[in-house]
Amino acid sequence: MVSYVVFLLVVAGIYALLAQSLCLAWGVTGLVNLGLAGFFAIGAYASATLTKWGGAPVPVGLLAAMLAGAVAGFVVCVSTLRLRDDYLAIVTLGFAEAVRVVASNEIWLTGGTDGISGIPAGLPRDWGQGFHLAALGIVTAILGLVWFALRRLVASPWGRALRAVREDQIVAAVAGKRVTRLKAEAFAIAAAIAALAGALYGHYTSYIAPEIFQPLITIYVFLAVTAGGNGRPTGAAIGAYLLIAFLEATRFAAEILPGVSAVQAAALREASVGVVLILLLRLRPRGLFPERNQKAPA
Amino acid sequence: MIITTRRTALIAGASLLAAPGLVRAQEGPIRLGTLTPLTGAGGPYGPVMANGVRAVVNEVNAAGGVRGRQVQLVSEDDQTNPEAGVRAARKLIDVDRVATIMGTWASAVTTAVAPLCWESRTFLATVSGADSITALPHNGWLIRTQPNTTLQGRKFGEYVVELGARKAVFMAPQTPFTQSQVTNMKPPIEAAGGSIDLLIYDATKPSLRTEVDQVLRARPDIIVLGGYTPDTTVLLRDIFRAGFRGKLLAYAYSVNQQMISSLPNDVTEGIHTLAPSPAEGTSAFDRVKRIAGTDNPDPYTCQIYDQINLVLMAMAVGNDATGQGIRDNIRKVSQGGGDRVDNAVDGLRAIAAGRKVDYDGASGPCDFTDAGDITDCKFRYEQVRGGRQVLIRIA
Repeated sequence: MVSYVVFLLVVAGIYALLAQSLCLAWGVTGLVNLGLAGFFAIGAYASATLTKWGGAPVPVGLLAAMLAGAVAGFVVCVSTLRLRDDYLAIVTLGFAEAVRVVASNEIWLTGGTDGISGIPAGLPRDWGQGFHLAALGIVTAILGLVWFALRRLVASPWGRALRAVREDQIVAAVAGKRVTRLKAEAFAIAAAIAALAGALYGHYTSYIAPEIFQPLITIYVFLAVTAGGNGRPTGAAIGAYLLIAFLEATRFAAEILPGVSAVQAAALREASVGVVLILLLRLRPRGLFPERNQKAPA
Repeated sequence: MIITTRRTALIAGASLLAAPGLVRAQEGPIRLGTLTPLTGAGGPYGPVMANGVRAVVNEVNAAGGVRGRQVQLVSEDDQTNPEAGVRAARKLIDVDRVATIMGTWASAVTTAVAPLCWESRTFLATVSGADSITALPHNGWLIRTQPNTTLQGRKFGEYVVELGARKAVFMAPQTPFTQSQVTNMKPPIEAAGGSIDLLIYDATKPSLRTEVDQVLRARPDIIVLGGYTPDTTVLLRDIFRAGFRGKLLAYAYSVNQQMISSLPNDVTEGIHTLAPSPAEGTSAFDRVKRIAGTDNPDPYTCQIYDQINLVLMAMAVGNDATGQGIRDNIRKVSQGGGDRVDNAVDGLRAIAAGRKVDYDGASGPCDFTDAGDITDCKFRYEQVRGGRQVLIRIA
């Protein structure tokens, strides 16, 4: 049971990193990024290929993943400059699918649909429980760092400018803010965080394949960020932990329901995710930790 | 002094917590897990598989269990997704403490779950076909009942030649076995002076007319379909609309009775199908028919039926209901001569009487190499005629 909980805390930590990414891009800057799974995949592949086939140490892999994510994020953002809202959402969704299709078919680069197995973790796996605890420590520490940095960024004048862009980019532009540059910066940083999450996922589980990076992951993270409050890094992180707790709790809840077959239980679990999302949007539309108005400096 | 006392108390407390776990492993019910896709792309197959296992477990429990111990089954959903599959597997291993996980279907899910299994000494039985799976460093913790792609590809290639086709096209989504399937179909076809091309399509597209037109431009005499039921349904409609009059060959798990009933007879008429099969007249296959409630149970249901039977008998033969026990003893009941049995109830009775058993299952003879692949497999050749699958031969 303990190792199960430790494992879930690591996975939740990785989801929380994805939630930090979405919090910055969507919650603060207002760029609906449905391509989260794509950046997640880019990071996972960048780090896995470098460390497994290139022989690079894991920390170098993580940095390379962030760099690759930032570059991809910058390119996607610059190529969609004129798009907002629904249109940006569609393009980013397409981007994530394109990443997955490329990962499936460019076998020389990514190993194709076989995926990449035996990705080095940087820690000895035969530590047993110790390995999982160490991974938990590392992932949680990285999440803590990202959370802290993001909080500072969001509270800074730069963060204020991002919120201005989110509310009305014309007004922001009239007020002398460089809207394009702000958007590109925020999107690239957000993509780098998602890529970092992907790299950590690959190193921890030792295996990645294109099928992992389905839109389902993006939807889960949207659910987490909506639950926690999309404008605050704290809310996004807590939302991710709640999401994993909820997804796993439904497993046990479905088991104690009388007269429900395994198939019905699986369907009920999926349905419950939808019901919770509807209830959340109805009862707490701004999440558990709604964004607070910043007081003007005295 | 106080510190020592505390530490001693802590150790004593910890061992108290740990002890019941150890005892529980050898007493009480035996826990086994299935991890099949109940939702997602594998959704048409997983539920039937899980039900098949449950039916066998119920039979064995009614007959007195495994050496007097009842069997408890936990069925989880891998959502046809490696990430969700890993979470479900961790729950089966760490919370339910199952001795074995059976039925992982998608190759990516199997590859993701396999390391967890061998690290935690849990036995894994899979139906995934990718060649790479048994090449993993699993040390005997994994078997698969699905013939690997090398064997399947060769059979498909030989059958294409036998059907008199020269110009073949293999249409499939990109999966871990697509490339290997084509590579292994090639030698028999080229030896007969023919050729084979590959066209990869996106399985999620609602129409595949462009892909079909592209294939028909090369004027093939046979199209080999390599997808699963949902995308093959789309593909067959478009092939029919395009007026293709050549031959069609498909996996029996995609062109199954359910799909044939959902399409007009004109669309499915004459499709040849191939599936791994037990020898004719094996009663295990009839049992699976009864359990699944259909005359044409899919190969995965047959395979997981064999997996649960083998696992139960392996635990009885070694008198060890752990993953280690299954790993060490499964080949003692699957091969090597002895009483031929086709179900666990008879097998357990023979084992209790001290006899050696050799299981012949619903998916084939179920003999395994050291790497975990099946050594031999017969194939079932069928053709769709008038909306029904008609058996041509088993060879």
